[in-house]
Amino acid sequence: MSLEQVRPVQGEPLHRGRLGRLRRFEPASLIWVLAVAALLFLVATPMVRLVISSLQTTDTGTLTIDNYISAYGQLRNLEALGNSLLYALEVTLMSALMAVPIAWGVSRTDMPAKSLIRALILGAFITPPYLGAIGWILLAGPNAGWLNRAWMTITGSHSGFIDVYSFTVLSLVTALYAFPYIFVFTSDALDRVSSEMEEAANILGAGNFYTVFRITLPLVTPAILGGAIVVFLDTVALFGTPAIIALPARIRIMTLQLWQYFEFPVRAEVAAAYAIPLIIITLALFWVQRAILGRRSYVALTGKGGSRTLTPLGPWRWVILGYSLFVVSLAVILPYAALGKAAFSKAWGLGFTLANVTLDNFYSLLAEEGARRTIVHSFTYSAAAGCVAVALALLAAYVVNRKLMPGANLLTMLCMAPLVIPGIVLGIGFYAAFASPPVALYGTAAILILGYSTRFLPIAYVNCAASLRSLNPEMEEAVRILGGTRLRAIARVIVPMLKKSLLGTWLLVFIPATRELSTAIFLVGAQTRVISVMMLDLSENGSFEILAALGFFLLGATILIVLLGYKIIGRDFMLRRS
Amino acid sequence: MRAILRLAVPLLTAAGIVALAPTAMAQSNGEKQLYEAAKKEGQLTWYSGILNQQICDEVGQAFSKKYPGVSVHAIKTTSQVAFQRLLQDLKAGDTLSDVFTTTDESHVAYLKGKNLLTKYVPENAKGMSKVLRDLDPDGFYHVSWVGLVTIVYNKNKVSEADAPKDWPDLTNEKWKNQIGFGSPNYSGLIGVWTVAMQQAYGWAYYEKLNKLNPLIGRSVDDPITVLNSGERSVAPGNPASAFRSAKRGNPLAVNYPTSGTLMDPSPSAILKGAHHPNAAKLFMEFLTSKDYSEILAKNSEQPLRDDVPPPPGAKSLSDVKVLSPKLADIEKDLPKIKEKWRDTFGN
Repeated sequence: MSLEQVRPVQGEPLHRGRLGRLRRFEPASLIWVLAVAALLFLVATPMVRLVISSLQTTDTGTLTIDNYISAYGQLRNLEALGNSLLYALEVTLMSALMAVPIAWGVSRTDMPAKSLIRALILGAFITPPYLGAIGWILLAGPNAGWLNRAWMTITGSHSGFIDVYSFTVLSLVTALYAFPYIFVFTSDALDRVSSEMEEAANILGAGNFYTVFRITLPLVTPAILGGAIVVFLDTVALFGTPAIIALPARIRIMTLQLWQYFEFPVRAEVAAAYAIPLIIITLALFWVQRAILGRRSYVALTGKGGSRTLTPLGPWRWVILGYSLFVVSLAVILPYAALGKAAFSKAWGLGFTLANVTLDNFYSLLAEEGARRTIVHSFTYSAAAGCVAVALALLAAYVVNRKLMPGANLLTMLCMAPLVIPGIVLGIGFYAAFASPPVALYGTAAILILGYSTRFLPIAYVNCAASLRSLNPEMEEAVRILGGTRLRAIARVIVPMLKKSLLGTWLLVFIPATRELSTAIFLVGAQTRVISVMMLDLSENGSFEILAALGFFLLGATILIVLLGYKIIGRDFMLRRS
Repeated sequence: MRAILRLAVPLLTAAGIVALAPTAMAQSNGEKQLYEAAKKEGQLTWYSGILNQQICDEVGQAFSKKYPGVSVHAIKTTSQVAFQRLLQDLKAGDTLSDVFTTTDESHVAYLKGKNLLTKYVPENAKGMSKVLRDLDPDGFYHVSWVGLVTIVYNKNKVSEADAPKDWPDLTNEKWKNQIGFGSPNYSGLIGVWTVAMQQAYGWAYYEKLNKLNPLIGRSVDDPITVLNSGERSVAPGNPASAFRSAKRGNPLAVNYPTSGTLMDPSPSAILKGAHHPNAAKLFMEFLTSKDYSEILAKNSEQPLRDDVPPPPGAKSLSDVKVLSPKLADIEKDLPKIKEKWRDTFGN
């Protein structure tokens, strides 16, 4: 029986029993199967290899649990794990405190200068944490940090007031480059909530702030939680910032410990063992999320249209703008001012003189063909990875959300696991699984694109899942009742309704992909170099001036791409203009 | 008569150069055969843990210029990553790289022990500085880069007279809050430095340094950043990075310690089962040649031969006292030092 024949005919009564089920089978189901197969191939292959290698001895490959004993048998390693979890928790809380008020201000109020704030937040996002951390060392170094020197000059004190080499500032600096995750998630969700319920609360006598805390924010809890989970997992696996700040601060962090397993004698198997319990943490986080979200409904988009009015804040709009500016100053304006000293100097150790100012660093970046190609690679691979990840994540989230297949929770796990596995460990798994025959993707752009897609699939998945939760199924049902297939429902209803959110999701993959180092370093070939690897190179080479210039270039290019993206996708369709 | 002499000397010299040139230009017989065989292979892949991508590409291009028809795919990563990729390639039974260069001699010693290297002694190796010859007496690997550790300082904050001249000077009370260095747990070169310092001064050396509240980074080059920013003023550091930064105008200067500059040789080797064995051998010739050392010197790196002058400000390897712990000592001492380091410095 061909597939064509089983497509349900419009108006035909539903058949019961096995025959009925067969009749309801539609070609779209094949797409689910293919999507799940693609996920298994991309995610499960390297993960399974990882789990297996964590149970093997280095030389002979026989079964052993020694790797787990050497990974967790030491107090120092347990302390590092504890510190990492505490660090991630602090970063998550700080990020939420930064992101949620600004997201509310940008999406729901008449706060001025919204585009500027949005662009600068994405500027914070594109900044490699490594570069941001260096910017902060220049700002808050105990001896020569700008902020501390200014403080000492003003107060006449002999010591500064902020030390970058401390746990709190480590968390702060990390949060400054992680909070955009929560911001994008939350502001997307806030853009989808119509004002009906807020208006109802107002009519019933609730004040603006009461409404925000009882109506608006609870409606976007799935998005805030989703963003928080991504920040938490991303921080647990982060290497760059801890390497630059935690190490001199003498704070033990798990990823730093992990790195040491790659010094000779290499013990990649122990590293794998050390990383695997993180999957359990991921599981626990989802259990917490489910417990918090419970059975409540977060449907914000229904078939009845709806509109959004901006809350007029009066003079308070300057307060929220002030707060937003404060946060983006810490994340972008101040550190880039400090980095600017290097980017626009011939020799940044010489300080400010007119003779020392130059654009040569930018020129040498753009003039050299190798550097130019590297920049183009990074942007095209990341863009492609964004598309692959969004498509896969949307399909997977749809399958899970509408319960189209058994084992949906397993699918969620599969989609979330890559984020928490530290990049270097995932990179090895990926290289092992895909570089050599039979897949033989060594040295191709495809292996990098697949690597990026896999690594950032969790972010895309979380955002798609949160978006789908806000969408009332009645609209797809309408399509189905009128004889449309599920694919048609996705293409004609879900994608258009979520287009802004999908662009946001794409950015959430695109941006971190351009700055991703630890998987890239394993996957690049001679003809497929990317920016992050070039940055590492420049930093190891002591060419800090060019490195800073590259940071500036990335910042500018991304802001342009983002503004262009929002221009193409058009104005927010729910915004009522008064 | 004098006038004739004045004229004759340059003339004779010029004649000498002309007479010598053909022999210098001509390739030796072995080299010619190698080149012919390499041309048939057409290319080679080089996993490099040394230099940076740009310089590696420059090396590759110079090689192709000297030997047209043979191209080099250089992939620069850290030595650990390069080694890890190599191990994965070997596990998969497919040697994707022909030549492997690492900052960690134990990588190639391990491969040699597993019988995974091809023995090849380049003719050009004879011309290398004496301290660099015969790193591996069996001829399986040869030096392609040296990591040096000297004393680097910020000239704007420390006068030449005040600057530390030797390793023990770094423990002076006046460098409290002013010194920084990398960690043996993250940098192989710093690891070798700690082995040498412990051999010379005992672990007490590091306990004294710890009292000065040093700023500890990862790599040997981390101090370059904090020296330039003014956060710290003295550091044990890699002179090549300091010279490169100083060449741009940054206020960095280098002292070669009187009791000895630390030197850690980075070897290259040809892998057994390489797809382009002849091109690999030819490349090994190139890495030991004068052309290659000239590229190094041009990029502020230490040349490997005495017939190539060092970059401005730097000294020739035969003019400095060199401390270079043996691999056996490093492998014996370093694991214990890493533990002690964590006890003393916390990470």
